[in-house]
Amino acid sequence: MLMCRDLAEIASDYIDGELNGRQNLSVKMHLMMCKDCRTFIGNLRASSNLLSAHSSGKADEEFLRRIDERVAEALSVRKNKCSDSE
Amino acid sequence: MNTAVQPESEASLIEDLKRGDSTAYRRAVREYSPGMLAVARFYLDHSSAEEIVQDCWVTVIDAVQKFEGRSGLKTWLHRIVANRCKNRLRTAKREVATDFSETLEPELANRFNSTGRWDLPPKLQFHDSADTLMENGALSDCLDKHLSTLPETQRSALMLYEAHQHKSDDVCNILDVSASNLRVLLHRARQKIFLMVETFQETGEC
Repeated sequence: MLMCRDLAEIASDYIDGELNGRQNLSVKMHLMMCKDCRTFIGNLRASSNLLSAHSSGKADEEFLRRIDERVAEALSVRKNKCSDSE
Repeated sequence: MNTAVQPESEASLIEDLKRGDSTAYRRAVREYSPGMLAVARFYLDHSSAEEIVQDCWVTVIDAVQKFEGRSGLKTWLHRIVANRCKNRLRTAKREVATDFSETLEPELANRFNSTGRWDLPPKLQFHDSADTLMENGALSDCLDKHLSTLPETQRSALMLYEAHQHKSDDVCNILDVSASNLRVLLHRARQKIFLMVETFQETGEC
């Protein structure tokens, strides 16, 4: 029988639909009987949604400006090369 | 909030990049660099990762001419970064150290008794939707703080899967981890975020 700890171990796989049919069924059966695990799964799912809603990672503006400079430089070299070959 | 470039505008962005349009590059750099940095940070320290991302953008100027769009632009860029990082590690003969042996965070594992039942079950239900939770500035700051303390391997996997919405196969390919190891990385990282939100909701402290 699936215990609460076992369920906690595979909780992300359940949320992401990565379990096989038999495992999925035993998680569902356990969740029907166990309020604590229902709360846990709900909260873990909320944590996952929270991360999706959170910014997809911010890069600092100084870093982005340095990339802009490198790109601008490389674009101008490329442009000059192209006009030389024309 | 989904600000990702939509397929039709991605096609026109690619055309603009191929023409060497500097405005298109500025837009693409802002859109894709955070994800590229997340990939590089899986393999390298912060300053080497930033250096690799800068180098990759320079490479992209020529490489994009041959880009046929078989994968999305984001996946293509992430693969370029991953390959560069792997090459650098190969040269330096270093490997990424990762621990895939435990699926439960110790702090969570300690909340079960010897029969495998909850000793300290979760008390509160996270009622609010993710968007409502994110409107709480203090929680958002707390999340940033915790994300920055995650091991790089967990954070990169989490960012690519959750925030950049890559499919599992793509994440495995980009980070060079097996599907089962990716599952461990994701689960460990999510548990840490769960524990953080729980503490925040119970105590109001980060």
